[in-house]
Amino acid sequence: MTSASDTLAPSSTATEQVVVLEDLRRHYGLGERTVKAVDGLDLRIRRGEIVALLGPNGAGKTTTLDMLLGLIEPSSGAVAVFGEKASRAAASGRIAAVLQTGGLLSDLTVRETVEVIASLHGADALARVPDVLARADLDAIARRRIAKCSGGEQQRVKFALALVADPDILVLDEPTAGMDVTARRHFWDVMRADADAGRTIIFATHYLEEAEQFARRTVVMHRGRIVADAPTAQLRASLGGRSIAATLPTTGGDALVQEMRETDGIVDVHVDAGRVTLRAANSDAVASALLKAGAHDLEIAAPTLETAFTALTED
Amino acid sequence: MTISISPTMLRIEAMRQIRNPYTLAFTLGMPVAMYLLFGTSMGYGDLSAGHGNVKYYIMVSMAAYGAAVAMSSITSLAATEAKQGWGRQLAMTPLSTAGYAATKLITAVSFAALAVLIVFLAGLLTGAEASDAWRWWASAGIMLGLGMIFGLYGLGVGLFFNSDTAAALASISMTFFAFFGNVFMPLDGVMLDVARFTPLYGYVALSRWPLTDGALTTGQTDPLWMVVLNVVVWLLVFAALVSVGVKRSRSRR
Repeated sequence: MTSASDTLAPSSTATEQVVVLEDLRRHYGLGERTVKAVDGLDLRIRRGEIVALLGPNGAGKTTTLDMLLGLIEPSSGAVAVFGEKASRAAASGRIAAVLQTGGLLSDLTVRETVEVIASLHGADALARVPDVLARADLDAIARRRIAKCSGGEQQRVKFALALVADPDILVLDEPTAGMDVTARRHFWDVMRADADAGRTIIFATHYLEEAEQFARRTVVMHRGRIVADAPTAQLRASLGGRSIAATLPTTGGDALVQEMRETDGIVDVHVDAGRVTLRAANSDAVASALLKAGAHDLEIAAPTLETAFTALTED
Repeated sequence: MTISISPTMLRIEAMRQIRNPYTLAFTLGMPVAMYLLFGTSMGYGDLSAGHGNVKYYIMVSMAAYGAAVAMSSITSLAATEAKQGWGRQLAMTPLSTAGYAATKLITAVSFAALAVLIVFLAGLLTGAEASDAWRWWASAGIMLGLGMIFGLYGLGVGLFFNSDTAAALASISMTFFAFFGNVFMPLDGVMLDVARFTPLYGYVALSRWPLTDGALTTGQTDPLWMVVLNVVVWLLVFAALVSVGVKRSRSRR
């Protein structure tokens, strides 16, 4: 590990790469039953980036985050956070996390839980407790036992535990699981403010719309490998154009559909109850052609990450 | 290496124990209740025994039991919570394993001392007597020092049993050991022969040593090497239990 962090340190200072993962692997079990949870991962994250880690269950997201936080050691490869060992960065509070599997002590109150973790990070963190309780919207339930908190409330406590160290990098594993819509919106509002203040945010999620709305960069993982790594908007756009729907004119509809079918760059043309749907790379041209021919009620939609996701992870 | 300990964590650990009904019942309540029941409400309390009286003998037995239960229940809780997700939460702080262990040990020893203090105070107020003041200190020192063996026992129980029941199990099994280990009431015959092999026997016999010099209520005298051997053997057994438990919980991950 020391040799790895030595070699990685210069590059991280040059471009402010705060996280560097190099050929990272983590295997479980021995012999024929070996499970390659993470199987050769290369990833560099710069300061202030917001990165979504997307993938089906078992893609290796949680294992990757565990290694990023120094909670488990890689089988091979290197992890550097600010050029140093991951566990050291976590201990110094430069990287903190809301863990999916991290447990809380059920007999402590909300305030006690935050105070214990804060006190371990030092006097500065302890002084931050009232502020952190307010930001995580926990003031009203500060005296409540963890055992009496709902799943969403416990999630907010874990969020407060991550914030109390005032980390430069915040790692979130399914951060809004168990939250209702209002709490989720509040959570992402707080996150957005943090990101604007220069905090690097890395999150794993099942909610595709969260990646779409919040992450400027999306990394898609499948079977322990990265299958796509691009700006979120670009990832969406690269997936074969927008989908267009329009109601056909009463006359000449059939001819129009025929014309669409014969044009290059238009695929998936379907007609259903007088309404045509299709996908096109140049959606502007197709829309204008449809309108000229008398079609109406035009709808254009960008491909969702869900379609991107399915296309990328399908075997 | 310096081990840093958070005063906030110590304070909250103490609060947790005070709020815990098992701690209150088994560690702080039961020993003093047993002393009052068997020591003071019976006619034999003021009879002389060794370098003191029977009340002192019973007081030391109950205090030693309380100290051992405090150690085992707190360490069993520590093991279960470290195994659960809380350990992952702590792993992301500067707290080292040594610091965590030290915090728990301080909590356990403090509560063991509190349990001893309560029973000794009850003894002082109700006429437990020893011929010299140092015998009180010697008994207290022996039970707090050797009581850490049951910290290992609690750790082992906590590592093998997953849920919060580990703490209750540790406490209840200690009560069982106490009944069959010549702690709560004097045993005789076959029961006494069996008792010599149980984990609390040597520990409590040594705690009573300043009073009894090894003499038993039956008139027999235990040789020192025998009670020390009991303590050493159980220390090794508990250490083995912990080491197997640690390996088992590691391989599960």
